[in-house]
Amino acid sequence: MTATSILLSVVLTLSMSLANGASTSAPGLEVSGDHANACVVASLPGPEYYRIDLVPTRRLVGSASVNGYGDVYFASSPFGVALTSTGHYAYDLKVEVSGLRERSGKEYVLWVTSPSLDEIHRIGPLVDGRLSTRVEMNKYLVVLTLEDAGVTSNKWQGPVVMRGMSRSGLMHTMAGHGPFESEPCAQYGYR
Amino acid sequence: MARYTLNLLCGALVLLILVPVDVVAQNHDHAAMGHDMGGMAAGDSVTWRMPPMDMSMPMMPGMHGMNPSAPAYLPLTPQEAMALPDARPRELVTMADGDTLHLHAMMVKRKIGDRHFAMFGYNGQIPGPLIRAPQGSKVYVHFENHIDQATTVHWHGLRLDNRFDGVPGVTQAPVEQHASFMYELKFPDEGLYWYHPHIREDIQQDLGLYGNMLVDPSREDALPRVNREEVFVLDDLLVDGSGPLPYGQDAPTHALMGRFGNLMLVNGVPDYRMSVKKGEVVRFFLTNVANARTFNVTFGNAKIKVIASDVSRFEREQWVDSVPIAPAERYIVDVRFKKPGDVAIANTIQAINHFRGEFYPHVDTLAIVSVADEPVSTDLSDEYLALRTNADVVEDIESFRSSFDRPVDYEIELTLKHQNLPLPIVAMMEIDTLYVPPMEWNDAMPMMNWLSTGNEVTWVLRDVRSGRENMDINWTFQKGDVAKIRIFNTPDSFHPMNHPIHVHGQRYLVLSIDGVPTQNLVWKDTAIVPVGSTMDILVDMSNPGEWMMHCHIAEHLQAGMMLSFTVEEEGTAGSP
Repeated sequence: MTATSILLSVVLTLSMSLANGASTSAPGLEVSGDHANACVVASLPGPEYYRIDLVPTRRLVGSASVNGYGDVYFASSPFGVALTSTGHYAYDLKVEVSGLRERSGKEYVLWVTSPSLDEIHRIGPLVDGRLSTRVEMNKYLVVLTLEDAGVTSNKWQGPVVMRGMSRSGLMHTMAGHGPFESEPCAQYGYR
Repeated sequence: MARYTLNLLCGALVLLILVPVDVVAQNHDHAAMGHDMGGMAAGDSVTWRMPPMDMSMPMMPGMHGMNPSAPAYLPLTPQEAMALPDARPRELVTMADGDTLHLHAMMVKRKIGDRHFAMFGYNGQIPGPLIRAPQGSKVYVHFENHIDQATTVHWHGLRLDNRFDGVPGVTQAPVEQHASFMYELKFPDEGLYWYHPHIREDIQQDLGLYGNMLVDPSREDALPRVNREEVFVLDDLLVDGSGPLPYGQDAPTHALMGRFGNLMLVNGVPDYRMSVKKGEVVRFFLTNVANARTFNVTFGNAKIKVIASDVSRFEREQWVDSVPIAPAERYIVDVRFKKPGDVAIANTIQAINHFRGEFYPHVDTLAIVSVADEPVSTDLSDEYLALRTNADVVEDIESFRSSFDRPVDYEIELTLKHQNLPLPIVAMMEIDTLYVPPMEWNDAMPMMNWLSTGNEVTWVLRDVRSGRENMDINWTFQKGDVAKIRIFNTPDSFHPMNHPIHVHGQRYLVLSIDGVPTQNLVWKDTAIVPVGSTMDILVDMSNPGEWMMHCHIAEHLQAGMMLSFTVEEEGTAGSP
């Protein structure tokens, strides 16, 4: 997978109008970004099955009780299903976290990475516990870290506060544990 | 940790057992495995051959030597096929208002590799004749059936009179062998449509019974100018060294996922080539006639301008990187070939390897475009690079916008039931539930899929409010109604899978997927519902009669996934 296989259009979920003036009627729609990379996020929940649970690492004092999730929607597409030219899904990921303590001089930064961490993309700091982005990977990790405020880096420096995995990360691997075994994912915090 | 170590050991043991056995299965004559009894014969004596397997995905335990529960079927033996006429390429039939076309479904022979096989063709052609007619016209088709089984012709996407819709048992009786039927086709809408049987599509359509109708818009400037038009019928065929794999005689095989082919076809051939001049803008009229496969069509690195889909142009033309096209969908796209050389038109996907639990890139070349050094005589670059807004489409859709927020009239859930499936399949399907992809781009379980037939699998459209299922559903509307239907593809079924949902005789808008409104609307008759997703559609109930709504994966349809609805003439009783 090349670096170009992921397109990260970082958008705050405060709405702007569509670049080409397209109108929509559903309440609660939030749209941002330029038209080509627009990230369209509904206020309705995404498909529950593909929701990404963010699991606290408990590395920060007081972080064990934070809750977070990522709703996954298909990116806007004339075909309904949004795909890239390499066949990867194009998703709009909307992350929402509650219960985070404010920490002076620090900010909570969201990252999306490939499962092998050979691609790490900084999405940006959460705003009011929320952030949305475009993801063009079929399998990926979502990581929330605590960083020095205003510092931009290609890799996180601070502790991992929460992490989650796209539902595809749960795909069965019969080579790994046999065709009639089931991975005890619940033990890792995933539903 | 101990559990994980045990799992690894178990996995390694299974690998040691499975891989050598499967290699044997690949390398030996299938006769040794009981799948080939020594040559194919017609009718009852056709025997099963195991489907081609991907060597990287070993067969699950307990499936060796198994065959589908239905008897095997192929039209004729290769020897008998030699007496048939060769299939011919598609011919253009330009029709004016009132014209009549004589259309025969007949048996033909095709050569795949170095062997000939019996297939079907309309007028001996694969694809069938390309009917080109002006918008607003009416033509007649005198159809005769000369294949070995009853058939009908469904005119997919047309808002024609109900009695000509080609649905056996609903709008007409099946056309028996050597019988005929006169169809009357009306073309109220511009665009690309297609025709195919509505009996055993899994066999008849797969073996070559499909063709296009191209309806020219009334307005000359409805579409941007292009240098060339190409009508591409995308298909796949499941073959091995002995030809097409047998079909289930009284029930479809591949009932779980549908029959994915391993030979990609454009306009019926596996090596389609075309030549263009440098700078040519080509309009591709794309139709997916495959039983089950959704393609992701790419044109090298060329920019793709999407113009139209099933029943209309889009509100706005739009640049896209690829064209995902589900069975029965159509898209019209413009592509400019800027540089000399060969450009591969390809199906570019991320396939799934269930054994390894991973996605992997997979590319099938569908066609080659040779771009010459010589520049095109009429440079249409400026027109190509401009994105137009189709004011007439916007205006048409605007009149329905007040209905976008109306309450949902009907809600259906897509699911399935099963009985008497082989135990290994049931065990695997019930265990492997941690991840189901939104779309199936490849047949990642060829043996399990092949062994599941319509005898064991029933695909279900379930009316959430009434609890009725499939053909027990018959909604009633009045002409002029606008109905909002919510379709939920549950991920909690025994085998969740994407479904292209087709509505007969009407047109509809996809309002939203998972609550996200569609930004660039287009009139559809078929649209894909990914696993886990909820799609809201708004149906313009403009055409009276008794109609079908169904999944267009041929095996799913044959396994029950269809419902009916009636649109009554205005002034009669009944409404949503």
